Amino acid sequence: MNLVSYLGPLLQNAGVFIILALGLNLINGIAGQFSLGHAGFWAVGAYVGASYGVFFAPAFLPDFVNLLISNVLAIIAASIAGILVGVPCLRLRGDYLAIATLGFGEIIRIIINNLDVVGGPRGFTNIPHWSNLFWIYLWVVICVVMLANLLRGTHGRAIISIREDEIAAAAMGVNTTKYKTLAFVIGAGMAGLAGSLFAHAQQFIHPSSFSFMWSVIILLMIILGGMGSMTGAIVGAVFLTFLPEFLRLFGETVSEWRMVIYSLLLIFLMLLRPQGIFGKHEFNLKRLWPVKTGDAK
Amino acid sequence: MSDQVAYFFQDLGQYLINGIAQGSIYALVALGYTMVYGIIRLINFAHGEFYMVGAFVGLFLIQAHLPFIIALPCAMLGSGLLAVTVERLVYRPIRKAGKIQALITALGVSLLLQYLGQNLLGADPRPFPDALENKTYMMGPLMISKIQLIIIVTTVILMGALRYLVMYTKIGKAMRATSYNLEAAELMGIDTNKIISFTFFVGAALAGAAGVLVGMYYNTVEPMMGMIPGLKAFVAAVLGGIGVIPGAVLGGLVLGVAENLVIGFWVSTYRDAIAFAILIIILLIRPAGLLGRNTREKV
Amino acid sequence: MNVVLKADALTMRFGGLLAVDKFSMEVAPTDLLGVIGPNGAGKTTVFNMLTGMYIPTEGRVSLLNEDVTDLSPHQITQRGMSRTFQNIRLFKDLTVLDNIRLAGHFRLKYRLLNSILRTKAFKQEEENLITEARELLKIFSLEKKETFLARNLPYGEQRRLEIARALAIHPKVLLLDEPAAGMNPNETKELTALIRWVRDHFQIAIVLIEHDMALVMNVCERIYVLDHGVEIARGTPAQIQSNPAVIEAYLGAST
Repeated sequence: MNLVSYLGPLLQNAGVFIILALGLNLINGIAGQFSLGHAGFWAVGAYVGASYGVFFAPAFLPDFVNLLISNVLAIIAASIAGILVGVPCLRLRGDYLAIATLGFGEIIRIIINNLDVVGGPRGFTNIPHWSNLFWIYLWVVICVVMLANLLRGTHGRAIISIREDEIAAAAMGVNTTKYKTLAFVIGAGMAGLAGSLFAHAQQFIHPSSFSFMWSVIILLMIILGGMGSMTGAIVGAVFLTFLPEFLRLFGETVSEWRMVIYSLLLIFLMLLRPQGIFGKHEFNLKRLWPVKTGDAK
Repeated sequence: MSDQVAYFFQDLGQYLINGIAQGSIYALVALGYTMVYGIIRLINFAHGEFYMVGAFVGLFLIQAHLPFIIALPCAMLGSGLLAVTVERLVYRPIRKAGKIQALITALGVSLLLQYLGQNLLGADPRPFPDALENKTYMMGPLMISKIQLIIIVTTVILMGALRYLVMYTKIGKAMRATSYNLEAAELMGIDTNKIISFTFFVGAALAGAAGVLVGMYYNTVEPMMGMIPGLKAFVAAVLGGIGVIPGAVLGGLVLGVAENLVIGFWVSTYRDAIAFAILIIILLIRPAGLLGRNTREKV
Repeated sequence: MNVVLKADALTMRFGGLLAVDKFSMEVAPTDLLGVIGPNGAGKTTVFNMLTGMYIPTEGRVSLLNEDVTDLSPHQITQRGMSRTFQNIRLFKDLTVLDNIRLAGHFRLKYRLLNSILRTKAFKQEEENLITEARELLKIFSLEKKETFLARNLPYGEQRRLEIARALAIHPKVLLLDEPAAGMNPNETKELTALIRWVRDHFQIAIVLIEHDMALVMNVCERIYVLDHGVEIARGTPAQIQSNPAVIEAYLGAST
């Protein structure tokens, strides 16, 4: 098999998962709001983007313009879904928030399953093939730069302060509800973007592509890399995209045990290294000349 | 009374019966959720898998021509022992690490059991052999099947036993004390680790019983069967007030009845969404649940 | 009299428990007041009502002549009142400098887009914020530790950082919840001088809750005494020291 045709789809998926993991990392790792419904926003973006492609896209526009329109519509739709879910749910804390977002994710999937125009349980077919490695990775770069800049400004610090201590953050004049929602909406919007890129790469989507299991896998990506670290989210996304292929080298039997391996990985990470590979740190050239943080060496 | 109204009430009665049978199963599973949450504040995602394991143990025993009356307690024992093992190996070490870590771990255990089941037992649903001759009884215009009766009777017996255990025995008293305040219970000389193990055992045994009953009710058993009912039972526990034992029963029944009414009068394809919609509404309006009490974080 | 903060008959009930009963207080612009009382007297509950963490069951709070009773904590902070916490609530995994910068958050005017696009407005405002934060750190002798994570500071420095952070709000009223808790006598002495200096330098009102009698008697000009949620005395340190009800409450509480 030709290496390019083998690696191409894998790299596409890796890019999509990087965007998903970065978004979930903003919500879970950076704002400290534990969401388990990320696949729901991914689904919203995928179905909205695909619907534009199948039903509305004017043929006279060049493909990349149509792709960008699809991306933007997906971002808007998923952000709106993010507001609808976030505003009521973010009043809840910790495990309750996790369950409520899980519930919303499932509701979104069940609704899609019941929408006949987009194929319902048969899946949505004939989606135009617009996205490719170039556009996916262009968006990856945009997301990384945007998030990095966001985090270095006062809005980013406000989001982080909520994770650190919500009560203290409010006492410092941070409108915690506003910034929790902001993080949630940006994260959801990114998942929507990933959905639209995914739909236009796969050309076929199915409600079960966005099941709860995928929310857990995206969660595993950011836990593996280190919750709160963008570098970690990227490494985790790439690693878990390639792991199934790697397992395939050991034959079909090992490959079938993929989900067993994932769940063991999740359990052992929690027991042995809950901070993941990178902790909350970022890969940073400056760290080669460390500053004093007072940490014991 | 016009015919239409009569039909309406007949349908309503029938949906209520179906709902109570379904709700009894949710209630049995919800009890374990609520007991474990009450004692260590952990949403044990894997609880649905204890139910699945109970169903499989029941399946194998009934396939081996053992009677229901023996298969049921054996399945309860099987689920209970699995839960104790999981608690000892995984949850106990993670308990001190924090709520979210424990939650993620529980999620991992849940997926592990699901996919282990799928790889070891096969993903295809298996038919559940008829353990009993199924009959349908008429109560006026309403039908109730023998299985439904067994479900309801078994549930009532098990709940009575649980109530006796928790309220009138020494270990039940220790369970209540530990749930009220773990550190204080420890200081009073209660071996809280043992109590937590025991709580897991009892909760999982009830889920195992529910698994056998549901296998008989729907005639099918598969490794993924625990996931959705597990989540729904959690919803039932939250609905009733998590940590409150009568709340889990109430929540289970309300959820079962609500689902059957929606399926009956409206559409069946949204069945699985109902529980989550109820969950979100209850969390927003009354997060402590129907029978729970509100608490707030200390500043 | 010019009043910056006024508590009017604040009452807090938790279920059947009456935690604070009709507490009233008036604070003038450069007052230095103390609220004392045995454990469980309701002092922290008073602070929580003043800062919007609890909504009082009855009574009103007004800050700079505005009724703030029903506002949320961040809104009250933004209107000019900040606080510290009994059990230090720093952002432990952020640097010392970032802890201070967060307090400047609501005063910054640049928008989200400015920071994503790194515009001039963003750079200028961030620069000013850092300059100001460094000045504050110098006052609290923390300037050498600006890159340290807050959790790595020794206890006394964490207490100082929390006060510095509260001052970075630019408050008109500063509430200190047991600032000397866990400090040794030497540190407490330094703190006493620091509190007075802060009041004089920034010209703000300070209200503090304290267990350490020496500190309260030394630093506060007026004192309110709470017992079981009820005010049992108010007055100057000298008046309080000789008040029989206060002596009774403290001796009674210690048995």
